[in-house]
Amino acid sequence: MAVRATHVFRWDLDKTYLRTEFDTLRDLVKSALETAQDKKTYPGAAALLRSLRQSPEHRICIISGSPSQMRQVLAAKLALDGIEYDEFVLKNNLRNLTRLRLRALRAQVPYKLPALLESRSGVLGTPPETLFGDDAEADAIIYCLYADILAGVVSAGELARVLEAARAYDDQAERTLALAERVRRGDAVRRVLIHLDRRSPTAMFAHFGARLVPIYNYFQAALVLYADGVVTADQLLFVAREMLESPEFEIPTLANSLQDLLRRGRLARAVAEELIGQVQTAAAGAPDPDSRRMAEGIAAAFSDRVRHLGGAPPLERPATTPRLDYVALVDAEYQHRRERKRRRRSS
Amino acid sequence: MHRIVVDAMGGDHAPDEIVRGAAEASLALRDTELILVGDAARIGRILPQVRHDGGRVRVHHADQVIAMDERPSEAIAAKPDSSIAVAADLVASGEGDALVSAGNTGACVLACARRWTLLPGVRRAALAAVYPTELRRGEKNDPFSLILDVGATIEAEAADLVAFALMGAAYAEIISKNPRPRVALLSNGSEAGKGPRSVVEAHALLLEATDINFIGNIEGLDIPRGVADVVVCSGYVGNVVVKMLEGVAETVVGLARYAYKEKLLWRAALAMLSSGIQRLKDLTDWEQYGGAPLLGFENLFIKAHGRSRARALSNAVKVADKALRADLCGSIGRGLAGFQARAAQAVTAPPR
Repeated sequence: MAVRATHVFRWDLDKTYLRTEFDTLRDLVKSALETAQDKKTYPGAAALLRSLRQSPEHRICIISGSPSQMRQVLAAKLALDGIEYDEFVLKNNLRNLTRLRLRALRAQVPYKLPALLESRSGVLGTPPETLFGDDAEADAIIYCLYADILAGVVSAGELARVLEAARAYDDQAERTLALAERVRRGDAVRRVLIHLDRRSPTAMFAHFGARLVPIYNYFQAALVLYADGVVTADQLLFVAREMLESPEFEIPTLANSLQDLLRRGRLARAVAEELIGQVQTAAAGAPDPDSRRMAEGIAAAFSDRVRHLGGAPPLERPATTPRLDYVALVDAEYQHRRERKRRRRSS
Repeated sequence: MHRIVVDAMGGDHAPDEIVRGAAEASLALRDTELILVGDAARIGRILPQVRHDGGRVRVHHADQVIAMDERPSEAIAAKPDSSIAVAADLVASGEGDALVSAGNTGACVLACARRWTLLPGVRRAALAAVYPTELRRGEKNDPFSLILDVGATIEAEAADLVAFALMGAAYAEIISKNPRPRVALLSNGSEAGKGPRSVVEAHALLLEATDINFIGNIEGLDIPRGVADVVVCSGYVGNVVVKMLEGVAETVVGLARYAYKEKLLWRAALAMLSSGIQRLKDLTDWEQYGGAPLLGFENLFIKAHGRSRARALSNAVKVADKALRADLCGSIGRGLAGFQARAAQAVTAPPR
């Protein structure tokens, strides 16, 4: 039965929500043997997800490439973090293995794209979507392709060619094409947030257009969503508080994250100034001295970072989302992955 | 979290290579913030092209730039908003903990001197330089010896030379992990009475200093031999020495190039020596060392080579980070205070 939602949030897990290493076989084994308590969440990710959950009409869908045999431990980890979700899709790699579909073990596009389309088919109407992925694999390509299929700008012929380039098995291609045919059209994907786990240069994502924002951390995700009107200033401070509990983050780190988005033209100066005003208001009404000090510190650091940019204009980028050549993108990603593997082996 | 201010506009390859180097350092140094000072728009166009940690890099706009060939005092006076002046201001006001620049050396020294406070007991700061020697030293098997002062100030009195010796020893101990660096005065003879009055007096004072491993006077030829780990001299002498050593190295390379072009036999001989030459090149690779410190202030300044590219700049930032972690300036300050207290005691103690 189709469900109603005002906004759908789709999250990947490994390297997006969870700090996971799976570059080598050893990493994979280690990750598979970890308990829920051992697994580490990126600072701010849980707070952001909990903030998004606060609206009952928001739908949280987790679609991960982790094997379905890890469902129990991953569900336990999400429960430990206080995350409630509506959908949790994992990859049935055991079935791929028993059917000797070895290509399917690693392939992302033929697994994730139909999973996204199927999940979308279960939602009533055309609610907006925000997607969270990372720079480790093909999330940027898959999410933009999904967005363009929903927007109706990818023809069945083009999709078939993309699936072929992505080395999809025939049945996977048929299923994906059928789902794409059936899904309700609408330019629903508002935002794609790519967590830079590998610290890839942000310019690498420029060709995906303004919809896709590479982020260094979840404070940046919260800032972008604040600018989008999806989270409030209070929710943003909630994310900041969780991040400040981690030794990796201090107020200057958060302020630098804001400045980075301003420089990249991913956050308007006016939005930053409005936010500073709201944080100052929050400081004045803080329930305790610690919260007041924190909010005041954040507001002051943010003001500094905005001021210290001088009158420097942000990077210019096209206002419209460009038309992407997905076959070329998938091919390039495949070559890049092979190259990485070769380098790893030789080193 | 340490905050290292980087003059993004200083150097022959600024701002591109400087920003790239700082970006690289932001990934290597997990709890250090890098403040890039310079043209915010230009820096903002370079950063997205390189891997870095966006949460650890801050940009601080500065309108003006001092070129490598400008006269330092005039440029500093005419350009109060130059990147080096603004960077030095940030450290002076406590917004940064150390400064790294590959820019105009004179302007850098002047910018620091006009804004920063000297450590108690230091009358003049000293710019240090490293020079590759035959000998390796310390835990890190460091092939470099430290020469100071190489031009922060022209003249130095005996007390200045003693302070330079103490500062250089502390730096070698902390950065090169050399537990007991050999400190020497540069003179025109190894005998205690040789040299100008300031050197003779400094010799006598340093003989009394138990804090450092003073080995006496050395001559110019002892520098490349690595007889001393820390070579102390006035800025005038140090500058002449360093420039001459650089000139000799360039001449040798020039002669090799000439030989390579001139005769097939010489070319073959050079080819046979190529692995050895490469090893020598690796040994003397200044880019791995990063930069040289300006010592004597309460704050730290690392001067990177004017020709620095990303790797050298990144290493200079790492040297600054290491010095901050080891509290280099604090150690120097404490060393100087101890030395002065003992010297004062010796003066006031009644003769036995």
